[in-house]
Amino acid sequence: MSKLGLFDLAVRYGKLTALANLSFTVAEGERLFISGPNGAGKSSLLGAISGAVKAAHGRVEMDGEILSGRAPEEIARRGLSMVPEGRRIFAGLTVQENLLVGTGQRRDRGAVADDLATVFDSFPILGERRHAPAGALSGGQQQMLAISRALMTNPKLMLVDEPSLGLAPKIVDEVYERLCALQALRGLTLVIVEQSSARAARVGGRMLLMRGGRIVADGDAAGFAAQDLLTEAYFGDAA
Amino acid sequence: MTTQHQIRRRAAATTPVLLILVLLAFVLLVLTFGDRSTARMATDALISVTLVVGFWIFAGNSGVISFGHAAFACVGAYVSAWTTLRPAMKTMLLPGLPAWLAQAEWPVFAAALAGGAVAALLALVTGAAILRLSGIAASIATFAFLAMVNAIWSNWTPVTGGTSSVVGLARYVGPWVALGWAAAAILVAALYAHSASGLALRATREDEVAAAASGIDTFRHRLLAYALSAFFCGVGGALMGHAIGVINPDAYYLSLTFVMLAMLVTGGIGSLSGAVVGVVAVTLAGEALLTLEHGVTLAGVPVSLPPGSQQILIALAMILVLVFRPAGLLAGREIALPVRWVGGRRTDSN
Repeated sequence: MSKLGLFDLAVRYGKLTALANLSFTVAEGERLFISGPNGAGKSSLLGAISGAVKAAHGRVEMDGEILSGRAPEEIARRGLSMVPEGRRIFAGLTVQENLLVGTGQRRDRGAVADDLATVFDSFPILGERRHAPAGALSGGQQQMLAISRALMTNPKLMLVDEPSLGLAPKIVDEVYERLCALQALRGLTLVIVEQSSARAARVGGRMLLMRGGRIVADGDAAGFAAQDLLTEAYFGDAA
Repeated sequence: MTTQHQIRRRAAATTPVLLILVLLAFVLLVLTFGDRSTARMATDALISVTLVVGFWIFAGNSGVISFGHAAFACVGAYVSAWTTLRPAMKTMLLPGLPAWLAQAEWPVFAAALAGGAVAALLALVTGAAILRLSGIAASIATFAFLAMVNAIWSNWTPVTGGTSSVVGLARYVGPWVALGWAAAAILVAALYAHSASGLALRATREDEVAAAASGIDTFRHRLLAYALSAFFCGVGGALMGHAIGVINPDAYYLSLTFVMLAMLVTGGIGSLSGAVVGVVAVTLAGEALLTLEHGVTLAGVPVSLPPGSQQILIALAMILVLVFRPAGLLAGREIALPVRWVGGRRTDSN
């Protein structure tokens, strides 16, 4: 059984179609990049999976359970965690409080302390600054915090929206390095929106290329670099 | 081994203890050196601590300003009056009370608890509708709720006495009783703020969407805090009535709403210490201005402010705080013992 399945999923904002009847599945432990130009529907797609955006048609399933129609907080409690675009950390809370926020509904109390230790092992800077207000962290540190916060809910599936947004390339390298290490460690399934398909190709994994609310290509990210598909997705008929 | 984290937690735990000790010192000082009128002032201030700390439990943690908390004080005050007034008095003033309530002569402590409990229940029921709204809409709805409660209490004459005062409440509330409840409010507020629900609610204050993505049900935590908050406002309202012996609906309406807001904003809505400091600051400023209104003699020259100056100047002070120190006097900080006092040296980098 696949981890995540989208079946004929459509999202509309008024008359505008953001997602036109998308279907695809993601296997357990897979790393899936979603790439494409602005307005391709990438964020609508993540929104529809996480429950923040209402689907007009079709359904989303995780482990065979239907997620569509449920509230975002309920979907989160079922093991789907989201790292939102622009990080959206809780600036006024301390780093540690940010990490503990999502653990309130976990049953496995004992494991929370272990997970916190894992986070501080992976991101020592967060451990050092655990009592500092999260708003005082640098952009890269905040991105690490947003990822760690999502991990603390003990997700089975993690959605990451534009982790490289507004970060220096060197920091982006670091973010991806840690993200991939954590994925291997926890056996996570990752769905990552990444505007830069070149970046996705370098990190490696499967990639969906979107344009105008549709999937125009689906395959190995590294393979895309060699093809003209990218140019076509971005520039369409003009290319 | 004591970790840095445990030391931090211990430092945070000193906040409510310190606040209560400060208030205790305040009471001892007033009772030792003051007269009857300063004792009254201290009682009022401590009742305000109960009210404003209660108010803070909701407003401070959720970031949603409520204009309706004076209504909870109103309900608490009348519940306490209904259950403690002498039956003969109730037959005369409040003929519409049901028989069991008309005959009730509860102990004052039980009556205060009942006042808080009924206020909390009312908060659960009304909050179930109001708190589903987004921040600003919820604030406006709480104001509508206040207006409704005031209208009901002003017009339901057989049960509430209408706009005329209900008199003859047992005047049992002095500085010590008020201090006891203020301390209880501070302790519960500190415990709530550090509970899982308190943390979740503070997260929704920072970013509601991100909180939902972390699995937090904003409405549920808001409702819990709203009820807890209403409980202490209900108790505070009952204490107000039993401090002066008289209640009427307008004592729990706009001016109380304003004073509670002024105190919270002045001290800083971001911390429990801010709520307490705000009460003390506004009370002291208010007393000083009232003295000036009554007239003093400075270097042989009689000086007095025109009547009403007190309210105007307190409102002005609140505006000045909002302009120059928008986060309040304490700006979200808590009063706590320094980390190095509660065990071990500081070793972290912040």
